[in-house]
Amino acid sequence: MSIDVSGLTKTFPSTGSGRRGDFVALDDVSVSLPTGQLTALLGPSGGGKSTLLRIIAGLDTADTGTVTIEGTDATRLPPQKRNVGFVFQHYAVFKHMTVAKNVAFGLEIRKRPKAEIAERVDELLKLVHLSQFAHRLPSQLSGGQRQRMALARALAVEPSVLLLDEPFGALDAKVRKELREWLRRLHDEVAVTTVFVTHDQEEALEVADEIVVINEGRVEQVGTPDQLYDDPANDFVMSFLGEVTHLSGTVVRPHDIDVSTSPQFAGAVEGTVSRMLRVGFEVRLHVLTVDGEDVSVVMTRTHARSVGIREGSTVWLTVAAGATVVPSMRAASQVEMAG
Amino acid sequence: MTTALLDGAHTPAGPESPQGPRRRRARRATPRNTLTRGAALGLGVTMMWFSLLVLIPLTAVVAAAAEGGWDRYFSVLTNSQTWAAVTLTVTQALLVTAVNVVMGTVIAWVLVRDRFWGQSLLNVIIDVPFALPTIVAGLVLLSLYGPNSPLGLHWAFTERAVTLALAFVTLPFVVRTVQPVLEELEADVEEAAASLGAQRLTVFRRIILPSLVPAVMAGAALSFARAISEYGSLVLLSGNRPYETEVVSVRVLTFIENGNNASAAALASVMLFVALVVIVALDLVQRRVARRG
Amino acid sequence: MVDVSAPTKWLLRLLAVGYVFFLVAWPVALVVKETFSDGLGNLVEALTDSQVTGALQLTLMVALWAVVINTLFGVGISLLLVRYEFPGKRMLSAMIDIPLSVSPVVVGLALLLVYNGRTGWFGPSIEEAGYQVIFDTPGMIMATCFVALPLVIREVVPVLHEIGDDQEQAARSLGANAPQTFWRITLPSIKWAVVYGVVLSLARSLGEFGAVKIVSGNITGRTQTATLVVEAKYQNFQQSTAYATSFLLIFVSIACLVVVAFLRPKHDS
Repeated sequence: MSIDVSGLTKTFPSTGSGRRGDFVALDDVSVSLPTGQLTALLGPSGGGKSTLLRIIAGLDTADTGTVTIEGTDATRLPPQKRNVGFVFQHYAVFKHMTVAKNVAFGLEIRKRPKAEIAERVDELLKLVHLSQFAHRLPSQLSGGQRQRMALARALAVEPSVLLLDEPFGALDAKVRKELREWLRRLHDEVAVTTVFVTHDQEEALEVADEIVVINEGRVEQVGTPDQLYDDPANDFVMSFLGEVTHLSGTVVRPHDIDVSTSPQFAGAVEGTVSRMLRVGFEVRLHVLTVDGEDVSVVMTRTHARSVGIREGSTVWLTVAAGATVVPSMRAASQVEMAG
Repeated sequence: MTTALLDGAHTPAGPESPQGPRRRRARRATPRNTLTRGAALGLGVTMMWFSLLVLIPLTAVVAAAAEGGWDRYFSVLTNSQTWAAVTLTVTQALLVTAVNVVMGTVIAWVLVRDRFWGQSLLNVIIDVPFALPTIVAGLVLLSLYGPNSPLGLHWAFTERAVTLALAFVTLPFVVRTVQPVLEELEADVEEAAASLGAQRLTVFRRIILPSLVPAVMAGAALSFARAISEYGSLVLLSGNRPYETEVVSVRVLTFIENGNNASAAALASVMLFVALVVIVALDLVQRRVARRG
Repeated sequence: MVDVSAPTKWLLRLLAVGYVFFLVAWPVALVVKETFSDGLGNLVEALTDSQVTGALQLTLMVALWAVVINTLFGVGISLLLVRYEFPGKRMLSAMIDIPLSVSPVVVGLALLLVYNGRTGWFGPSIEEAGYQVIFDTPGMIMATCFVALPLVIREVVPVLHEIGDDQEQAARSLGANAPQTFWRITLPSIKWAVVYGVVLSLARSLGEFGAVKIVSGNITGRTQTATLVVEAKYQNFQQSTAYATSFLLIFVSIACLVVVAFLRPKHDS
């Protein structure tokens, strides 16, 4: 295991006149992050994932608990001694240095020979496709380019772990998507243990080998994207990873509900289509059941037409065979949906 | 208080620069003159007043100085008493500027990065020299460093009095230029440097200081310009003793009082020139910073 | 944020506070103490001295005129600089700052050379028309205007930049004409910046010394302002009156600072 975190607790003193007591950012968090993997810390804003990352980097200190990086206890180590690479949401570029100087910074601090530094910087700029910008100032780069520079800067010191705090959060949607794919490929190339924080479940599902879902300062579940999606530990994880609806006491995905116009299966719930909305190839239904539940259902346009559903139709709903289902624990309104 | 605040007008090309060239072309396409009739009238009145108040009088100084040609300059400046005043003024201004560079940065740092009781009071006191009438500033300093000094310091009428007066009136410049820059420094930049292995001192020397240098220089230039032109605070404190504590402004005033406007203008135009150099230098520094973004 | 170590922190704190204490705080406090060394006696004495009261009235009059002129001029030029394009704009915006870098003595000399009644460029013709500028109030107002000129502009320009012209365009699209737009939209948004500039100008105007000394001629009882009285009284060995008058000036300028300190966060937010 590359990073072992155990029993981490962190509270921030409350600010302002609220007097609601201290804010608990992390509540007894223990997690192990495997070597060489790309791990995502996923969760809603304010859930504690950035705090966890900053504690691993030594930029914040935990109240209790330990951090072990590659077998050495790093709990009391200052950030300078941890040999981690950290990439910030807002790039944190050194404005007064050229792109090459930015990347060289960590190596210069380590007093490497000049020739070696030049060679390494060259290599890294090639890796992040910024070779032609080596002598520009960061202000002349776009946001995406700045973030790639920041990544090269973090990688230059050959860190034992690379930590990225919402690395694409400040970029627009298109650039974000490009960089996401690029990060995946880069990781396959460089294979350094990487942890990144995101609140975007699509980003986590697409890029990560493993996902740690964090909410309200606690780890909800750890697993591969498939495990999380197919076998969520609770309805929070399930609803955070995709759209959900409630049907007779269970949480289920709207596209996992079968709709028929006659009561074919035992246990089917009767209801009326209260609203029907077509979005491209998809049809979204709101079905008001006889139990008073408002269930949303998604099906293809073709399917809806073949079954002959329209607003006002009486339908029977069943959970599709093989669907992921979680018992409903909390009110749906408490679950904060992502992005 | 930095000069060229108006520089906000030419914002640097945005960070997402692909559109940079296109935008620039678009700007050139807009008419160079967008004045409406009312605004043009306003500009006319404004320029007239500005000319009558500032431009024509300053031109008159230069014209009066030029009448005598280089010979006049030469004779005015080589007068040993004037030369002594020039040397004293420049040396003291440089000394005080150096002090301000260090103390101003320290004070700005303490105001931004430290938290302690009475800090906001300190913040207000920094502005007192801006607001206090200069003659009162002289009187104020006399109370602690003059003949009745409770500290037993009798610095009045010595070169030290000049240093004190200049340090007093220029105190806010570096503080007030550095403070906002320090406030806007992003914490994550320093954290980035730390996680790359830089120790505190290295972070300060290689990350913070370079970001502050333009602001420190701007503040230094302002305080130098102010120091060489200072008059009011020195009147009571320095005693204006020729060859010892007489500064250039006092020299100019003596020329005026003796009805020697030509010599006064010659010396004044030299001061104007120095002021102009400072303004231009400041503008260059700020434009470079704006480009850095 | 990377913090300094505790000893360094205390050293820097001590250095900053110590420097400001010895240079500004203690000396100012001593003047205040000196003023009240025999209760209110010094103040009463100063305030019953017709030389002092006359000077205070004159100072107030000159400062008010200068502030009014600089405010009108400052707001106007700020609008021109921010909202319009015209040839020579950059030049003008650079020249606005000149008065901050010119010695008050040079300001006095410059005005003297143009407006003095005998040899000035315009002085004789103005005098023929029956007006006197130099050695009289108009010259003193001009000198004060000159030194305080950029203060309003430097406050208003950044705010105008910041608020942009969206609201003004919206107002115009709703049918407001230029004056209506100015009074109802622009002025309310720059109100605090203007007030701030006015307070700074007032402090500067009340305290001007060098330039006014030259253009006023420093004629006791006629063109002597409060700051000139301080000098005269001190050199006349009427130190208690000098201290009392200084105290009044310190009081007003610190009051200005306090007003500004209270205003600042309001118009920043």
